[in-house]
Amino acid sequence: MRIADVDTIAVLGDSALHRIGAPAKLVAFVLVLSAVLVTTNVLLIIALSLTLIAVVVGLRLPARTLLGFAAYPAVFAALFALATTAGILGVVLVVGKALCAALAAVLLTFTTPYPYIFAPVQRVMPTLLGDAALMTYRSLFLLLDRMDKTLTSVRLRAGRPQSFGAGARMATTALGGVLFYSIDLSQRTYDVMRLRGYEGRLEISPQPAGPIALRMATVVAAAALLGVAVLWRVWWTALNPYSWLPALSAALLLLVAVFARAARTWKERP
Amino acid sequence: MSAVERHLHCHPASEPCAEDVVRVSCVRHAYEDGTRVDLCGMDFIAHRGTRVALLGPNGSGKTTLLYHILGLLKAQEGHVSVFGLDPATQWREIRARVGVVLQNVDEQIIMPTVADDVAFSPRQYGLPEAEVSLWVARALDLLDIADLANRVPHHLSGGQKRKVALAGALVMEPELLVLDEPFEGLDPAARGALVELIGRLAREEQVTVVMTTHDIDSVSELADFAYVLAPGGEIVLRGTPAEVFANVEAIAASNIRPPLLAELFASLAAQSADAPAPELNVDEATRALLRWRDSSAKR
Repeated sequence: MRIADVDTIAVLGDSALHRIGAPAKLVAFVLVLSAVLVTTNVLLIIALSLTLIAVVVGLRLPARTLLGFAAYPAVFAALFALATTAGILGVVLVVGKALCAALAAVLLTFTTPYPYIFAPVQRVMPTLLGDAALMTYRSLFLLLDRMDKTLTSVRLRAGRPQSFGAGARMATTALGGVLFYSIDLSQRTYDVMRLRGYEGRLEISPQPAGPIALRMATVVAAAALLGVAVLWRVWWTALNPYSWLPALSAALLLLVAVFARAARTWKERP
Repeated sequence: MSAVERHLHCHPASEPCAEDVVRVSCVRHAYEDGTRVDLCGMDFIAHRGTRVALLGPNGSGKTTLLYHILGLLKAQEGHVSVFGLDPATQWREIRARVGVVLQNVDEQIIMPTVADDVAFSPRQYGLPEAEVSLWVARALDLLDIADLANRVPHHLSGGQKRKVALAGALVMEPELLVLDEPFEGLDPAARGALVELIGRLAREEQVTVVMTTHDIDSVSELADFAYVLAPGGEIVLRGTPAEVFANVEAIAASNIRPPLLAELFASLAAQSADAPAPELNVDEATRALLRWRDSSAKR
């Protein structure tokens, strides 16, 4: 299950971004998202994308998995752009914006466990919704685990499905079982919560904030991206002839990140 | 209840005035599918500071009995009291005094990190955050899992999850600990440590422990008293593990296989009139058998 992959990388990863608390990363995420929204320049959106990919590569995050996740919205954005936008530049801009926004979100979710992303949001939500969303996290993994076990037991008893139809029937049967289990699980979970003194409002401890230099660097870098986007948006007539400059810088940054990653991997070889 | 009745229900008889923490008298329960559990026969009593094991075959009603003690089921007939109150209607008054670990610990761990899960009860009881941290640190240290504090539960092993659930149960320093199959999934070292911890809590902190277990061979080591449930829920035997397992026939009638040592001594008693009295602990049994061999040799 890929959701479990995201959680594993978020929880067990040790990159620089993993060491920073969620608030700094949320601020950086909002800044990058704003930069994506502000930009209407194709070269600039390419520069933003390359910069984010450079971060993924440079921090030695699992690039293939991250880029795979970020590509989903890009595919749908491409379909939308092809259907509605005239001209190749328009398509590239829409796809680039979707890819950029998705990359920023994926970077946040792959380097921050869900509860910590959610904790600041939960504090301003109504109690019932906040608690339900927090409970969803644990329940999701219990249900994924249950689904895995059910599918395994179905396969052990009936063998691997011979056709797509048989596979779909098997998956549907397993899903039905998991649905019933989930109803049962919710009752048992409530019983346990009552036994343990539940009186409304679940709380979680804040994540350690991490080194201040790292936090500042992350927020300043994101703010710089937004600054560049705003500059190009405001003084576009003057700056457009130089749009290749941020794109080239980002490409060089990516190149350096690729080399740095390769060098470190080579150095760590046994 | 008269003094005579109270004395009749007390064990050991030498402590007739020991405080009843849990008392269950002839509770009958019918599930929605029509299955009936009649927890009658003898009363189930757990005194302060004792470890009481509940033994019985699958479906005999062990978990039903625990659920009545925890107020998750309401007695349709009969009487359940915990700290003198009815847990089904007055759970709020006693809940901070009770720690619980149910059979499926995965479903009992609610919060996203180990420390947050252990902190669940203190936070719900409104303790200040600084105090919560102290309670949590103490509970994690007690179970020797301080290094797991920031881990996410679904990345833990089965044994680690059981320890986390136990830390969550112990965090408020409960007076009553209710454990459903507490040793399942633990390796021998972790199991030994847990047996030692439960014994220490009962001895030094006067914590009352009520637990179900299928680990028959270890009952003498992990419990002071044992109750045996027959299929259908009837409480047929009670006493110290030695007393209970001396009754091999009644044990077998309850579909429980007696401990190997109890079987060995019963077999010796059947074949030799001067066989030693049963011992359920390996060291004690070894000593008894050596004494018996020496005395036989002298004769």
